[in-house]
Amino acid sequence: MSGPTVYCPVYSPLFGALGCAAAISLSCFGAAYGTAKSGVGIATMGVLRPDLVLKNALPVVMAGIIGIYGLVVAVLLSSGLSRDMTLFASFIQLAAGLGQGLSGLAAGYAIGVVGDAGVRGSAQQPRLYVGMILILIFAEVLGLYGLIVGLILNTRANGASCT
Amino acid sequence: MALYGSTYAGYGFGTLVTVVIAYGILDLIVNGRWFNIAYLIETPSPYFWASMGIGLCIGLSVIGAAWGILLTGVSIVGAAVKTPRIRTKNLISIIFCEVVAIYGLIVAIVFSSKLSNAIPVSGWSREALYAGYAMFWAGLTVGMANLACGVCVGVVGSSCALADAADPQLFVKVLVIEIFGSIIGLFGLIVGLLMTGRVTPFK
Repeated sequence: MSGPTVYCPVYSPLFGALGCAAAISLSCFGAAYGTAKSGVGIATMGVLRPDLVLKNALPVVMAGIIGIYGLVVAVLLSSGLSRDMTLFASFIQLAAGLGQGLSGLAAGYAIGVVGDAGVRGSAQQPRLYVGMILILIFAEVLGLYGLIVGLILNTRANGASCT
Repeated sequence: MALYGSTYAGYGFGTLVTVVIAYGILDLIVNGRWFNIAYLIETPSPYFWASMGIGLCIGLSVIGAAWGILLTGVSIVGAAVKTPRIRTKNLISIIFCEVVAIYGLIVAIVFSSKLSNAIPVSGWSREALYAGYAMFWAGLTVGMANLACGVCVGVVGSSCALADAADPQLFVKVLVIEIFGSIIGLFGLIVGLLMTGRVTPFK
């Protein structure tokens, strides 16, 4: 493997590593917000309806899945990091990580707020549980869109070698 | 709150102006030129511009969609405690917000197909630079339009749920307003695809 050339400059892995870090850290922000906000709702609801607490822990699980999406993208991006990377590959990794991170952050926020209101409402109205699940699934799929874009971009960056 | 806003804006703007002037003076002392914007724009590889466009496109679109789902979902769930009949009909507002994210996904996938590894012989060609700039701003166009559209559809969808809970015949009327809101995202998608219509893949 030759040293840094003009096509593979020495600062190239900076952007790839930034993408990898953004994917996991921003997704974790979203997952943490989702867990915390809906957890507060579950705890408040559980004071009067303790039998519903485990059933209504669904928003917490879905927020955790957002973190897993970020983990998947970050692990895939990190396997593409190397000492000699083309700028092409590292910028694409930046795009993949940033796209997944912002998507996970937004999806986690949505899951948190909707989960909080949903568990409080479904404790008062049992027919609301299915409606809350449907809205949470739509919010979860937003994180999946970020994962899809991250995976597509990552496969685009594979195979670029320094010649 | 207004005082905090004006304090933040004042300090932020003052810092920005100071940093920009300091950079200009430093560049003048070191390189002997005053605010060489062309250097800042031409020097990064066009892959930087294109990738930032793609990343911001999907990121901002999903932020808009999530914001909309957040606003609408809370209203649906809150109003359905007393009137559970509204929950299934008002899922269409959530679907309108989701479609906003799908616009961003489509554009990100279309742009990513234009990226290919190319070695710049004696600098970047003009087609490659054009491709980079076009994809950056097209991605930002789609992302910002979808961000605005998602918030708009979310607010109107929230009002739609509350109106439907009060009076069932208001649902279709407020849904028409929501449809007008969702074409904002479509405008962004059209302009973004028009901008990159003449972009040739990197070679």
